[in-house]
Amino acid sequence: MTELKDKIRGNLKTVIDPELNINVVDLGLIYEIDVPEPRTARILMTLTTPGCPLHDSIASGIKYCVQGMEEIDHADVQLTWEPAWTPDRMTEDGKRLLQGF
Amino acid sequence: MFQHSSGNETNIKLPFSFIGFSMLALILSQLLILLNGDLLISGVFRLPAIWSAAHLFVLGWALMVAMGAMYQLVPVAFLTPIWNEKFGFWQLAITTAGIVSFSAALYLRPQDALIPGILTLLGILMFIFQMFMTLKSQAKPNILTLFVGTALFSLLATISLGITLVMSMKTGFASEYYQAIFKTHILLGTVGWFSLLIFGFSYKMVPMFSLSHGYPMKPAPYVFAIYFAGIIILIASFMTGSHLLEVLGTLMLFSGFMIFTWHVKMIIDKRVKKKLDRPFMFALFAIGCGALIHFATFAGSAANLLSKMAGPIILLYLIAWIAFSIIGYLYKIVPFLWWTHKYSKEIGKKKVPALKDMMDEKLALPLFLMFTAGTTLLFLSFIIKLMPIFYVGQGLIVIGAVLFSYIIAKVVTI
Repeated sequence: MTELKDKIRGNLKTVIDPELNINVVDLGLIYEIDVPEPRTARILMTLTTPGCPLHDSIASGIKYCVQGMEEIDHADVQLTWEPAWTPDRMTEDGKRLLQGF
Repeated sequence: MFQHSSGNETNIKLPFSFIGFSMLALILSQLLILLNGDLLISGVFRLPAIWSAAHLFVLGWALMVAMGAMYQLVPVAFLTPIWNEKFGFWQLAITTAGIVSFSAALYLRPQDALIPGILTLLGILMFIFQMFMTLKSQAKPNILTLFVGTALFSLLATISLGITLVMSMKTGFASEYYQAIFKTHILLGTVGWFSLLIFGFSYKMVPMFSLSHGYPMKPAPYVFAIYFAGIIILIASFMTGSHLLEVLGTLMLFSGFMIFTWHVKMIIDKRVKKKLDRPFMFALFAIGCGALIHFATFAGSAANLLSKMAGPIILLYLIAWIAFSIIGYLYKIVPFLWWTHKYSKEIGKKKVPALKDMMDEKLALPLFLMFTAGTTLLFLSFIIKLMPIFYVGQGLIVIGAVLFSYIIAKVVTI
């Protein structure tokens, strides 16, 4: 199970926030990845700011990406504002990419 | 705690239609100003060609851009879908017909501008109604709602006073108050509508484009209260003719603007994104210009010279604060609109471009320099009343308008 979650996390690195040009994992937008039942994934995510204009696009991108995996048929993407995103949630790679952007 | 995707995207055709029409109006309005430079330089503003150019610029360009942007930004900034998209397309058709016929009537037969003016009013009323219905369903109103709501109310008052002016011209109605109504019309159309709207959306866009977190929002209500009080006091000065109220009103506007400028600096200081992109920097530059213009207005009023400075100050206000802000933000908004239309269904499936790849950043610097130099020369030509300088300055603005339209059009080819 952990292996599958890691694979999902790895795949999500192909989904970028187009404004920042950094993937959603390194940006720290992915809060939880869960596989509650076989071939189903649940992703709990946030955005850098509530009311982000790319809200729907990024959430849909995450859904398409996970459902595109051969191990998953259905992905449920849920958005939360609690706790709110902070820059501390970014990975070192994310911080490096952002500073150099 | 959990919230599903809200489905707040607007049909791209709606904001794009507004923006497309606005770019034509921008070029035409600037050409009209270029062709009537001799009148402007001699201080003659109240002429059909100038009225037509001013309304094409303010209504045809700035208002149409603001409407288009709001159709996109209000749903995402307030997390509330547009009340009725179909109604939006009707509003687009009526407003466009209204502005085209109104500008043409002002140019050709100002005394017959009433019916086109009413058509424009209807289009704007439809827009205000659309936004009112949209904002009404917002779950939790905030300070942005206050800025945007008051801006919309100012827009309604501006257009109502504009119709009153046309009626007064035609029938003599309220002619003894003509000057006060005229000044209030200009004040609410510039300061009340555009400034409050730009303040409100800046509070959304500045943190977003700089990725700022951990900044306070406490100064925002003070910005609103002081700036709004300045508007009310200035209107009172127009009604009473009191110079003291005029000085106090301009001081309040200047103070409110300075608190806003300081607040934006606080937000920028808390940014995570260290290198800001050029269009966004241009929008921030516009805030600096706005602060200087507000100071000049207050200083002019304190020296009892405001009536002589009004023309150049309004021109600078419209170009260096309002237009520069809109241009800076539009440079960001249009690629976002097109990206959403073209790539929002592709993200997660294949590699998609970043927004930065969709706008021509190489052309940004020459464009912004052209607008800034053009505006500076234009302003200078008003002071020293020299036609060649006017033609060079306004010529640069016309070329800038064409180049900007080209850059905007180019986005949709990516």
